[in-house]
Order: sequence, then C-alpha cells, then structure tokens
Amino acid sequence: MARIRTTVDGLVYEDDVEPRMLLVQYLRERLGKTGTVIGCDTSNCGACTVHLDGLSVKSCSVLAVQANGSEVLTVEGLERDGQLHPVQQAFHDNHALQCGYCTPGMIMQSIDLLGDNPDPTEQEVREGIEGNLCRCTGYQNIVRAVQDAAQKMKPGATASQPASVAGGGA
Amino acid sequence: MDLLTVETFARPTDDDALRALQPTLGADRTLLGGGTWLFSVPQPHLAGVVDLAGLGWEPLVAAGDGLTVAATTTLAALGDVDPSSYPAWPAVASFRGCAEALVGSRKVRQVATVGGNVCLALPAAPMITLAAVLDATATIWLPDGRSRTAPVVDLVAGPQRNALAPGEVLRSLHLPAVALRARTALRKASLSPLGRSAALLAGRRGEDGFVLAVTASLPRPAVLRYDDVPTAGALAADVAAAGETVGGGWYDDPHGSPAWRRAMSLLFAEEIRRELGGTG
Repeated sequence: MARIRTTVDGLVYEDDVEPRMLLVQYLRERLGKTGTVIGCDTSNCGACTVHLDGLSVKSCSVLAVQANGSEVLTVEGLERDGQLHPVQQAFHDNHALQCGYCTPGMIMQSIDLLGDNPDPTEQEVREGIEGNLCRCTGYQNIVRAVQDAAQKMKPGATASQPASVAGGGA
Repeated sequence: MDLLTVETFARPTDDDALRALQPTLGADRTLLGGGTWLFSVPQPHLAGVVDLAGLGWEPLVAAGDGLTVAATTTLAALGDVDPSSYPAWPAVASFRGCAEALVGSRKVRQVATVGGNVCLALPAAPMITLAAVLDATATIWLPDGRSRTAPVVDLVAGPQRNALAPGEVLRSLHLPAVALRARTALRKASLSPLGRSAALLAGRRGEDGFVLAVTASLPRPAVLRYDDVPTAGALAADVAAAGETVGGGWYDDPHGSPAWRRAMSLLFAEEIRRELGGTG
C-alpha cells in the first residue's frame, strides 16, 4: 500500500491505496465521487475526465498514487454557492445531453478548452473535445453549449438568454 | 484501463534515485512517462512502474549548439512553444504541427511525453518524425551509470520495437542548431481528419542542404539527404526506393493500405520539395 495525500474538490484526503488503483477508482470507490464515470475502460471515451493540477486528464489513465500531492477537480467540485459553473449552466440551457453519461467528461474538457481558448470557433470546439465521445452522437448541442459558455464567461458578460435549443444529434 | 498486476510504484525525485532504479527495469517493471499508451491496453506482464514525473527535468534548454528537449517534456508543452521566442531557429515552427499530428486529444497531449512517443516506436509517432527531420541525437542513460548518444532514428527498430537495452533510459533529445536554422514543411495523411497518421513527411532546407523524413508510411523512418533541393524526379525515385527497402516496405495496417501510403508519400514529398523552394 502507498500513502497518498490529495486535494479533491477543495478538500484534503489522506488514504492508503494499492499502487494499481486508478484515480477514477479512487474517486468513485473511496471518495464516493460517482459524478466521474467510467465509460470505456480503454482510455478512448473521455467520460472520466477530471482536472489534475489544472489540466484535463483521463482519470482512467492515471494511478491514484500519481495524484499524490496534487489537486484534483471533478465535476462535483464546479458548483459555487449553489450556482452551477457557467459551462454546466450552458449545458443545461442548451440541452447538451441525451443520455448524459458523457456529460461530466464533456464539461471538464470544455472548461479546459475554454481556459486555453476563451472564444473558440465551432471547429475549434469540435477539435477541443475530440477525445470525448458521445455515444448518443449529440454533439450539435454540446458544441453550442461550449460556445454559449464562452460568451457568458467573457469579462463583463451579463446573463443572457440561452442559445436556441436544436433537435438532438442522433 | 485496469493494470491489475501492478504491485509496485516508484517516483524518483532526483537523477540519483532514478539511476539506482535502472538495473531493476525490465519486462515486468517499466518506465511510466505520460502513460497514454500504457493505460490503453492490457499489460498483464507488468508488476511495477517507475514514474518519471517527479524528476523535474527542464523541458527545453537552449544553447548555442541547439535545443535539448527532456524526454519528459509533454507534447502539449512542445507544441505550445512560441516560434517567435527563437527567431534564429525557424524550424521551431514545426513543433506544433508535429505535436498535433499525434492521434489524441489535447488532454492526451498534456500528459504524453516526447520520450514516451519515441520509445513506443510506432510508425506514426510524430516525435520520431520531428527528430528525424531535425537530426536529433538521443542521450541515453545506461544502467551501469554511464551514458551514450545515438541518432534518434536509430532507436526505432520497427513498429513498437525500440533499440534500447533493458534498463536504459532515454534522457533527452538534442536538436542541433544547424537544423533548427532551416525552414521546414510538414504533411500528414490519415483516414479521418484527426486520425492516426498513415503518412507523415517532414522536410527541411537550410545551410546543410535538403532533408526529407518519410515516416508513418514506413515501418521505420527513412531520411533522405541532398546537398540542395533535388529535382522532382530524383526525389520521387528515392522515396519510391525507400519504400521498397526501409523496414521491409510500405507499412500495412488498418490505418492505410501500402499502395495509398506510397501514393501519399510521393505526393507529399513533391509538395514539401516545392514548398521549400524546389523547381523543375
């Protein structure tokens, strides 16, 4: 067993873990943070995306021991004072989900993308989330949501009407 | 991906600690760079990993004789290098294109490492392309405490086969200034816009002539050199000949047929030749 000390969603946790334990397993099974989901188990789908020290990673591709001394942010740590993160709100406003399984990873990756590129074009959004798969193929509204969030996150932006909600992408 | 058999994890925090672990490396205990491939397929033989993330190696070190890239440098870090920071080295502009030629999203590039990409030795590995066209030299730490150097292209023995001996560690890649002063051009073909490269060619033209690296379409890289930009016919003949000899011929896997890879390689070679000033 290895002793780890990790900050997850703002709280510090100390645990003994087996070296083989994946970060996603640690989050879900030890900390009960089931908002981070396991989709493919082969590092392809991105559903388990979290932020590790500020960068998006697939938590199925990181051992829990690798997160020792690091800060982890999951989709459960985005809300502030009862207010959804602007990207969460944009996903809600634009109905950017069908079954919703990919949504936590999509949101975490979208936040990372907007950190790099605060005003992405549609193509840049599509490339920015290319490592996150929506099995429902509901990408149209996901892309809209990311661009909507980008507008609302601009300095000085005020709450605006949600972007129009189109039909599902399936 | 569950790595169910892993029982030990080590994260050395200085060079001496890594050196001490090198003799323990082998088929059942491997280095962990970014882990983007390691975690993507079952590794039933693996009992331990040695994580390189704690070593704190400086990603890029510029000197008069060139640029040294630590093996632990991520592809994102390399791709984010601003070419305007190195005005004397136009070839730095090729870093982004090569980094983004990896089949993988931004979050993969944020953890995937230059050294890992080279050591995995996939034909489509874009860091091998970059190293090939810029004549990169690898510094390798031996398990007995010594070091050796070798051209990076010589580390690629074949698809997913590198020439490192058990216990050896790729420490860094050195890109010589003479190559960095050259202009470069890059071309990629894949079955989907962001798919794995089926042909990835890079060229450079500078004071030491014209160099073309043919990768992804061959099992291992081919590097063609000329005193100046060759004629279209000479270059095409040499690319075709490389395809018959290097690594056993044009590569064949689900990402592209040999005939298509050959055609794209010939097309790209000519496009690169023209982009870098070739006529006739």
